[in-house]
Amino acid sequence: MSAPVLVLNQNSKRESGRKVQLGNVAAAKTIADVIRTCLGPRSMLKMLMDPMGGIVMTNDGNAILREITVQHPAAKSMIEISRTQDEEVGDGTTSVIILAGEMMTAAEQFLEQKMHPTVIIAAYRKALDDMQEILAELSVSIDPTEKSEMRKIVKSAIGTKFINKWADLACDMAIKSVSTVVLDNQSTGRREIDIKRYAKVEKVPGGILEDSEVLDGVMVNKDVTHPAMRRKIENPRILLLDCSLEYQKGESQTDMELSNETDFEKILQMEEEYIKRVTSEIIAHKPDLVFTEKGISDLAQYFLSKANITAIRRLRKSDNNRIARACGGTVCSRPEEIREEDIGTGAGLFEVRKFGEEYFTFITKCKDPKACTILLRGASKDILMEVERNLQDAMQVTRNVMINPQLLPGGGAVEMAVAQIMKEKSKSMTGVEQWPYRAVADALEIIPRTLIQNCGASTIRTITALRAKHAADGNQTWGVNGETGQIADMKDLDVWEPVAVKLQTYKTAMETAMLLLRIDDIVSGTKKAEGGEGTGNAAPTGQ
Amino acid sequence: MNIETQAPLIVGGERTSGKNVRTQNVLAASSIANIVKSSLGPVGLDKMLVDDVGDVTVTNDGATILKLLDVEHPAAKVLCELADLQDQEVGDGTTSVVLIAAELLKNADQLAQSKIHPTSIISGYRLACKEAVRYMNENLTIPAADLGRDVVINCVKTSMSSKIIGVDSELFSGMVVDAANAVKFVDAKGVARYPIKSVNILKAHGKSAKESILVNGYAINCTVASQAMPMKIVGAKIACLDFNLQKTKMKMGVHILVNNPENLEDMRKRELDITKERIEKIMATGANVILTTGGIDDLNLKYFVEAGAMGVRRVLKRDLKRVAKATGATLCSTLANLEGEESFDASMLGHAEEVVQERICDDELIFIKGPKVRSAASIILRGPNDIACDEMERSLHDALCVVKRVLESKSVVPGGGTVEAALSIFLENYATSVASREQLAIAEFAHSLLVIPKTLAMNAAQDSTELVAKLRAFHNEAQNNPKNRHLKWSGLNLVTGVIRDNKSAGVLEPSMIKSKSIKLATEAAITILRIDDLIKLYPEKKEGGPSYQEALQSGQLDM
Repeated sequence: MSAPVLVLNQNSKRESGRKVQLGNVAAAKTIADVIRTCLGPRSMLKMLMDPMGGIVMTNDGNAILREITVQHPAAKSMIEISRTQDEEVGDGTTSVIILAGEMMTAAEQFLEQKMHPTVIIAAYRKALDDMQEILAELSVSIDPTEKSEMRKIVKSAIGTKFINKWADLACDMAIKSVSTVVLDNQSTGRREIDIKRYAKVEKVPGGILEDSEVLDGVMVNKDVTHPAMRRKIENPRILLLDCSLEYQKGESQTDMELSNETDFEKILQMEEEYIKRVTSEIIAHKPDLVFTEKGISDLAQYFLSKANITAIRRLRKSDNNRIARACGGTVCSRPEEIREEDIGTGAGLFEVRKFGEEYFTFITKCKDPKACTILLRGASKDILMEVERNLQDAMQVTRNVMINPQLLPGGGAVEMAVAQIMKEKSKSMTGVEQWPYRAVADALEIIPRTLIQNCGASTIRTITALRAKHAADGNQTWGVNGETGQIADMKDLDVWEPVAVKLQTYKTAMETAMLLLRIDDIVSGTKKAEGGEGTGNAAPTGQ
Repeated sequence: MNIETQAPLIVGGERTSGKNVRTQNVLAASSIANIVKSSLGPVGLDKMLVDDVGDVTVTNDGATILKLLDVEHPAAKVLCELADLQDQEVGDGTTSVVLIAAELLKNADQLAQSKIHPTSIISGYRLACKEAVRYMNENLTIPAADLGRDVVINCVKTSMSSKIIGVDSELFSGMVVDAANAVKFVDAKGVARYPIKSVNILKAHGKSAKESILVNGYAINCTVASQAMPMKIVGAKIACLDFNLQKTKMKMGVHILVNNPENLEDMRKRELDITKERIEKIMATGANVILTTGGIDDLNLKYFVEAGAMGVRRVLKRDLKRVAKATGATLCSTLANLEGEESFDASMLGHAEEVVQERICDDELIFIKGPKVRSAASIILRGPNDIACDEMERSLHDALCVVKRVLESKSVVPGGGTVEAALSIFLENYATSVASREQLAIAEFAHSLLVIPKTLAMNAAQDSTELVAKLRAFHNEAQNNPKNRHLKWSGLNLVTGVIRDNKSAGVLEPSMIKSKSIKLATEAAITILRIDDLIKLYPEKKEGGPSYQEALQSGQLDM
């Protein structure tokens, strides 16, 4: 054994044992610390500058972590859970990180006492199951059609955000836009709320936030193609196309052999005739308004404008779909196949307005719009970006409540209540598992504690008072008033959160902690996995 | 490196031979075993692997760990391949096979150092392996007769216990067994087959692991081509196409020469109409779900929308084949028939109870539920993040393999170190009956098998020496005293650290995995033992500029 035996590639680094476990805990804690100050109504924004010099100003957990590059692998998976939370329920991205970080911290003491991670994990799993049960018990149902109830919930979701100052406006916008796109699917019998596709947020810098509104229709960033066309039509008949109104060559490679000069003339003529035929087919259906996803040639514009038809070209596919849903039309692909039913008549007003230097097309006063545009105005682009993120959160919250109208008290009240019940329960447990179980209960208090911290009140005093309050019966809705740092009854403050968000936060946080605690070895610098392992194929989450 | 071991022969490399090379090989094997050691058993832990781009994999699966490690030593590579082989052959038990092989090597090295020729050791190992497998099959297996659903579930639970989904094994074991049963079919010879590959596992982050679902049917990770299409069709008639529904165009290099300008217009029209006619032909048979591997042009979508049919484009061919199999559809690669005409026959359609598009997380999936011909199964995994979902998928794959092995081979053995302990006692007794040099090797083989119960006990932070000694005492009693035969099921209980009857505790493993892992480990150990010379060639000197590969890497060829 004279020469050392090199088994692994020398580039790879390996760490194992307790060092890794504690390292993972530290990494999780660090990530949680980064965004700790972003929780609650007294939260502050973070300004991030990416290498390209772009700026992001936000207090949305997911948006912050997305921009941060970390080295530690455990920290990476922490960051990912924020994305999961965002995609699944859209809110609670900050709390999930803080909670997961705290769950890891709670396990640290047991690791140092040399408790086996599998024991801790088993206790965590049991705690998670109990938490879900307790949450179901604590929740209260509401009627999602009741506007005032909905407003309260959305308001408490917005309370922590930048648009807090315009909370009323934002609430109305979120509720209105979401209730517009609700579609009770007859065939599946399920409620379908597709915010991503049918409630589009358009940001137009300029003006003030108060000018923002939810349109009862759609707005697109386009102008009419020909200046002579009408810019305002009441009760327009709308025709939607996804083909071009230009002469196009066929797909196959075509060569033409011309034997005499008249043929050349003929070709040119044919092209003209084609346009003429196509436009006349459109004109025959007497639309007032033609939208197409492709181009419109000058000649076609001329024919259309002569027939007093306004045409708008180069729409996005998604915009076209939205208009189709708002005005009840169908997107046609061949002009000769247009039918009367395809024409949308649901819109009340078409008009082109000018903001700043740009023209925008509005299709509004729709009778029964199933799609809408949310028009945001504001001082600068960065602010608008943040407002959009906030509004998205609010809309997600609205959506969650509409699908599952169950609520929990916010402001840390529910965490205190769950912790209280779990601590009671742990007393009747036997075996080592009760300690990690109780630690989970304690760790839950991080949410009210952070709320108190962020508004600068005395943490220990307030938490103790809150704990005492919860020890007595019937005070389960008491939490922290994030503005003042006092304890308060959430019923009076009207701070509510949807169950879906809370449940998801707990599940994601606990399961991540369980995943990270199981690790006892980190090998970095391994070779790239040759794709296609396992039986499954591309994940729906893949990027 | 001593001068003596350096051969005078001029080889363009480094040469190690004799004892040195064996010791090195054994050392390399042990270090590989050490890496995966801590992931064995119900209290084993996971490894986190980070590759050079920074992608993270968290896993407990021996084969996956070794596959991702950048192993350089040739003997260590043999072990990595061994784990991979076990993974492909049986799907589970990848960690234990590596452990056994490494232990066999270690003990063989000791024998070799006391001047026993490797060939004697090899023949001893061969003999021991054969006897061990024979004894296991005769005495330790629990035959097919009493193979209820409980037994299968117990086997799955045993396999899962070491994995991340171990805490939820109750839910997942049922799911896996149901999924395997759903894809079961009886082949031409009348043997039941479980093509577990056709259990489609999809991953979506969000919700919790407990909310993973088993879908009776096939799930495809696609969306309908147009938002205006229906999201749900009951009584679906499915057409599976393997061609484009786009504007028809001539193949590359085909030129169309037009003499008369009028014809040009016709050509263009024809291009559009050919596809339209095709769609009409398909629709005429009553198809209301059209799945294609190719694309569907936007301008053709309207026909589907008007007919109230679902059109799905860019379905993976692999998925489409399985859908076709499950629903009884024929995968249609062209509409042309022998007469040179285009036709689509209603018999090519597949049937399913319903086809529905559902939103999961931020994405949409299409479910083909209740296919007519053969039942299918898909599992949708949920979890906190992608890393966890990936690991869950690997665990489920192992579990599915276990179900397949149990149901196909129809016999199980108790787990938790039972088999290894029993075999080691048996082989020790057997060794004393062999009056040749092999005796020593067989005894060492017996000793090596104990690495499994030892490691199990060690990972559980129990006193491994004492526990294994106790276990051996139980098995010795069982084999020598006919009255105490029932003790042969004794194994370790790793949570409490006592010996118990693992058969009644439900810790079971398919016997095939056990026998395969002993056989493969022996083979691998023998392969490495036979080596007495290692020549590592120096990389060849380059002459005349950089090699092709280098040029490729440095991007000189990217014109």
